[in-house]
Amino acid sequence: MKNSEQSLSHPEKFKVDTSVMLEALDLSKRYEDGVLALDRLNLQVRSGQIFAMLGANGAGKTTTINLFLNYIDPTGGEARVNGITTHKNPLQAKSNLSYVSENVTLYPNFTALQNMDFFARIAGKNGLSYADYAEILNRVGLQTEAHHKKLKDFSKGMRQKCGIAIAIIKDAPAVLLDEPTAGLDPQAGREFIDLLSRLREEGKAVLMSTHDIFRAREIADEIGIMSAGRLVLQAGKDELAGEDLEKLYMEYMSGSKQN
Amino acid sequence: MFKTIVIKEIRDITKSKKFLMSFPAAALLIILSFYVGGRWFQLNQHRYEAALAGNLRQMEGITDWIMVKHHIFLPPQPLAALVNGVDNDIGRNIEMFGQGELESGDSRFSDDPVFAMFRFLDIEFIFSVVLALFAIMFGYNAVNGEKETGTLRLVFANAVPKEQFILGKMTGVLLTVIIPLLLPILAGCLILMLMRIPMTADDWIRLSLIVTAGILYFSVFLLLSIFLSAVTRSSSTSFLFALLVWIFATLIIPRVAVLLAGRAANVPAVDEIAAQKFSFRSQLWAEDVQKMNRFTPPRTGNPREMMDAFQRFMGDLSRKRNEKIMAYAKRLNEERRNLQNLQETTAFSISRISPASNFSLAAMHLAGTSIELKQHFLDEAMSYQQSYAKFLSAKTGGLLPGSGMVFRLIEEDDEEPETINPHELPVFEYKPATLSALLDYAFFDLAMLVLFNLIFFAGGYAAFLRYDVR
Repeated sequence: MKNSEQSLSHPEKFKVDTSVMLEALDLSKRYEDGVLALDRLNLQVRSGQIFAMLGANGAGKTTTINLFLNYIDPTGGEARVNGITTHKNPLQAKSNLSYVSENVTLYPNFTALQNMDFFARIAGKNGLSYADYAEILNRVGLQTEAHHKKLKDFSKGMRQKCGIAIAIIKDAPAVLLDEPTAGLDPQAGREFIDLLSRLREEGKAVLMSTHDIFRAREIADEIGIMSAGRLVLQAGKDELAGEDLEKLYMEYMSGSKQN
Repeated sequence: MFKTIVIKEIRDITKSKKFLMSFPAAALLIILSFYVGGRWFQLNQHRYEAALAGNLRQMEGITDWIMVKHHIFLPPQPLAALVNGVDNDIGRNIEMFGQGELESGDSRFSDDPVFAMFRFLDIEFIFSVVLALFAIMFGYNAVNGEKETGTLRLVFANAVPKEQFILGKMTGVLLTVIIPLLLPILAGCLILMLMRIPMTADDWIRLSLIVTAGILYFSVFLLLSIFLSAVTRSSSTSFLFALLVWIFATLIIPRVAVLLAGRAANVPAVDEIAAQKFSFRSQLWAEDVQKMNRFTPPRTGNPREMMDAFQRFMGDLSRKRNEKIMAYAKRLNEERRNLQNLQETTAFSISRISPASNFSLAAMHLAGTSIELKQHFLDEAMSYQQSYAKFLSAKTGGLLPGSGMVFRLIEEDDEEPETINPHELPVFEYKPATLSALLDYAFFDLAMLVLFNLIFFAGGYAAFLRYDVR
């Protein structure tokens, strides 16, 4: 287990490690209202690794994802995707990223296949057929009869599967998941965990923000606990083997334990 | 990428409930406006022909051209039935005199006031009121609506340049909403042909320009709504703003412009001018009566010679009096016209900050039903008056009714006087303003509509480049 409070500017830190797909280097974000949402975050997610960020609301998890997606510019440090600095080359960085949001909201008047087609095309996958889309939708567990249904008739679990299918079809080396299991029923949650395992097997680097300690422990290779914009704890699965993660999490959240 | 986004927009809109519900309604209204316009033209054509026949019929049996009461009528124009403008407000009937001032009377609204209350379902109304709201409905949530549903966040998780996205979106929305509107317009044109409405080549060109102006106006509101959706956070806010702009542009600004123009130039009322003319005429008549009292006929003993001398004297008085009245009336009319021009120019200049006014003015100018129509009809009538005066003079031996009295000596003899043939009257051929003249009038407003499009397009584009897609 290591404390993530790192020194700010070691030159060797900025060398590109080819197996590192997602990397935050002293990444900071202070909003215009003065709130420091992220304070010198350093983390790495390698190919074939799942990194789960735990933390309460406002801890900085979504800000981290927004910075990787370049929805916002950092006020300090860098977010890199496959070695590409997101705020300098956002389009290039995004072509290496797939993203699944907490509430997958696709175009409600489109069918699952039409949504797949649109998102595949804007991801640069132009040569695919509806059969290819159907195959991926089957793979994520969306039944064939739902493929031609409009998204407005889908349950949250079905939409989530569609979102994963869109992330899969992009076939990007890095995947960002923002609270992906929130609101899913146990069956859908289970299926989702299986899908994540498959992504790992395919060598994807997965960065996931979640409140779900139990699923994080089940699937993640690396777990980070965030509090007030800082990564207060980062530990590998093995390091946490004998620990009560829930207790640890509560201690960090209550402030009784500090890095 | 651009093409993908355009296709997505087209699909998204055409599959939406609001499109499936509102498009047939808009299409129906457009087709209905063409049909109603066609029927209105046919009815007016029938009324016009009846009025012409009635005018000739009332002359039957008259034996002296001096006694003729001749009327000319403004013929109905096909485009005036589609864009009414002031066509129903102005007098369509002028009593013709060989000399003197002419005045039009009997407007359609004075005959059928119920139409004045509710107006007509013409193309100008459909575009400026109904289709502008239709445009708002399809644009108000173009950007912030996608943010609200979360699709914008997902789209921009991909390597999508913002410039291409907003251009694709604007193009997609414009194409999806405008092209289907052209179909009922084409159907409307077909209806006009089937109803055998006598449209000339010029009329078709003018109609296509009116439709172009309508499309430009429609796209102003579409681009304005997209712009508002890119500068506001929630779609309900952008809808409210777009609605406020529509209310101001369509209902408030034109009325305020007229009020302000009324303050800028105090135009005397027509009744006031008429009273001044009447007073002047009475004064001249009183002077002439004194001259008449002083008139002594030549003492030849021959009543015809005496009558001819009196006739010459009276004709001379009448001509001089008429010249003075005409000069005075011309001066009063010119003064009023100048003030009216100032008032109109002020009203139009102010109202032109509204795209609704730009469209209405352009459509009315192109249809020939703008505010100039009344003057154009009077000018045409005055031009006809010259040939009518010539004709009448030839028929009456130089006598022109129109100002004052005409005295004739009627000799009783056994011969039955011949009745006049009303068909000998010169025909009044109304020439509508030419296409190039109408285009000159409409050009500024068409240019303003283009300018509004460019402003809102640039505004929406620039706003989206800074838009927070989270």
